[in-house]
Amino acid sequence: MTDLTLGELASAIAARKVSALEATDACLERIARLDRRLRAFITLDADGARARARALDADLAGGRRRGPLHGVPLAYKDLCHVPGLPTSCGTRTPEYFTGAVECTAVARLTAAGAITLGKLNMTELALGPFGDNPHHGDVDNPWKAGHVSGGSSSGSGTAVAAGLAFGALGSDTGGSIRLPAACCGIVGLKPTYGRVSRAGAMPLSWSLDHLGPMTRSVRDAALMLEIVAGHDSRDATSSPRAVGPLVAALEAPVRGVRVALPENYYFDGVTPEVRAAVEHAARTLASLGADVRTLRLPDPAPMIDVCNILARSESSTIHARVARERPHELGPAVRARLEVGFHISAHDYLQAARLRARLTRAFVDEVFGEVDAILAPTIPEPAPALATVTAPPVEEIVRRMGRFSRLTRPFNGLGLPVLAVPAGFASDGRPLGLQIVGRPFDEASVLRLGHAWEHAADWRTRRPSL
Amino acid sequence: MTDSQRAAPGQLQADLAALAGAIERMGGELALGEEPSNFVAALDAGAPRD
Repeated sequence: MTDLTLGELASAIAARKVSALEATDACLERIARLDRRLRAFITLDADGARARARALDADLAGGRRRGPLHGVPLAYKDLCHVPGLPTSCGTRTPEYFTGAVECTAVARLTAAGAITLGKLNMTELALGPFGDNPHHGDVDNPWKAGHVSGGSSSGSGTAVAAGLAFGALGSDTGGSIRLPAACCGIVGLKPTYGRVSRAGAMPLSWSLDHLGPMTRSVRDAALMLEIVAGHDSRDATSSPRAVGPLVAALEAPVRGVRVALPENYYFDGVTPEVRAAVEHAARTLASLGADVRTLRLPDPAPMIDVCNILARSESSTIHARVARERPHELGPAVRARLEVGFHISAHDYLQAARLRARLTRAFVDEVFGEVDAILAPTIPEPAPALATVTAPPVEEIVRRMGRFSRLTRPFNGLGLPVLAVPAGFASDGRPLGLQIVGRPFDEASVLRLGHAWEHAADWRTRRPSL
Repeated sequence: MTDSQRAAPGQLQADLAALAGAIERMGGELALGEEPSNFVAALDAGAPRD
């Protein structure tokens, strides 16, 4: 049962072919069997999940279906505040994020009928792309033991790939949805800035944070996004722009859609297998009628500098208390990254925010006048060995972090919607990743392209051997 | 924590200098009327027509 997609399970439950309790127990059995190795969960709420499943089964027996996710077990990154459960944010303090309002995205999924299995492991304070955590254990890659699961939504990536949950929420400040999606061979969507409310989720950088779905299929990502997207008065950055139908738009043809392969930056230093996989995806989309061409994109280096200023200033401000009063509780790389932000001037911070506006306007005008979407690798290499990338000294760890997330970070600054979708597998079985970038608020197009690619590829039903 | 796990003070200064230098170089190109909220306006202007 845990091989089903979220949408397939929802349909099976609605048709009374399987119960919500059976689906929940299947996840809990798998978690009990596998999570000692994988370490995807920080908090498991088995009793709460079973009680909710029984109530949902009773509702359905009485003719009441709560919504499109009725009876589907999900799990959430441990920075989403869920009433009754602790929110550690990957720190050693179980109630690190306290007094918060309920996470709007979780509340919307719950209202649509989802079951909360628990809270998922993550990099400490969401600061890091490798999935290591000194307090809750390093999240393992389900495809290759001892390798990077991707971060910071590491537990979300591994839980979904390993069939411990049918879908998850992650957050993405510099790639933290897309990197674990790529490392774990699943789908992750960073929506447009403002598309999904961040209310009730721990902030890392107000300017760059995004919440989004992590799933086993593009259709599932569209389904979850339809539910969580849309204006929320509790998040001042939430956009009032209407969310159109996303699942219904998936089957529209890609013929004539203009797609760019970048001529610069995004293929520099990537492994030959990564390059070949992305080029294969481009040829596949071209065979389906997409108008694929190469395009020189604006240099992302200035935007990366801007993102570094914004992210470090804001994260140091938000987490100043732990960084200054209890620095010994933080890992050395996290502390080093927070430390920089204390020394950035207000002048540089505001200049960075102004530059971001100019760079984004220029990018949107220049690129989306020519094409509708961009294809690029998500990670420069398949998931590396964790021990290799986390070996000291700390300044070298920070440099490795920057290199591993160099392909995802520019799009946080630009605020554009990006779908991370599997691009196939390396010769040793590690997943390869592709990102599809769209114009602002055009999640429908990136999902449509991702869906077309996914259905033309042959890896869609492949699962890790566990 | 071992010395090899601790960020060197010199590295911190170098990181700060690099970031400040980058902002200084780019900041000269900004128009007087450019403000941070123009970022959201740029996203709205680039969205598909409803």
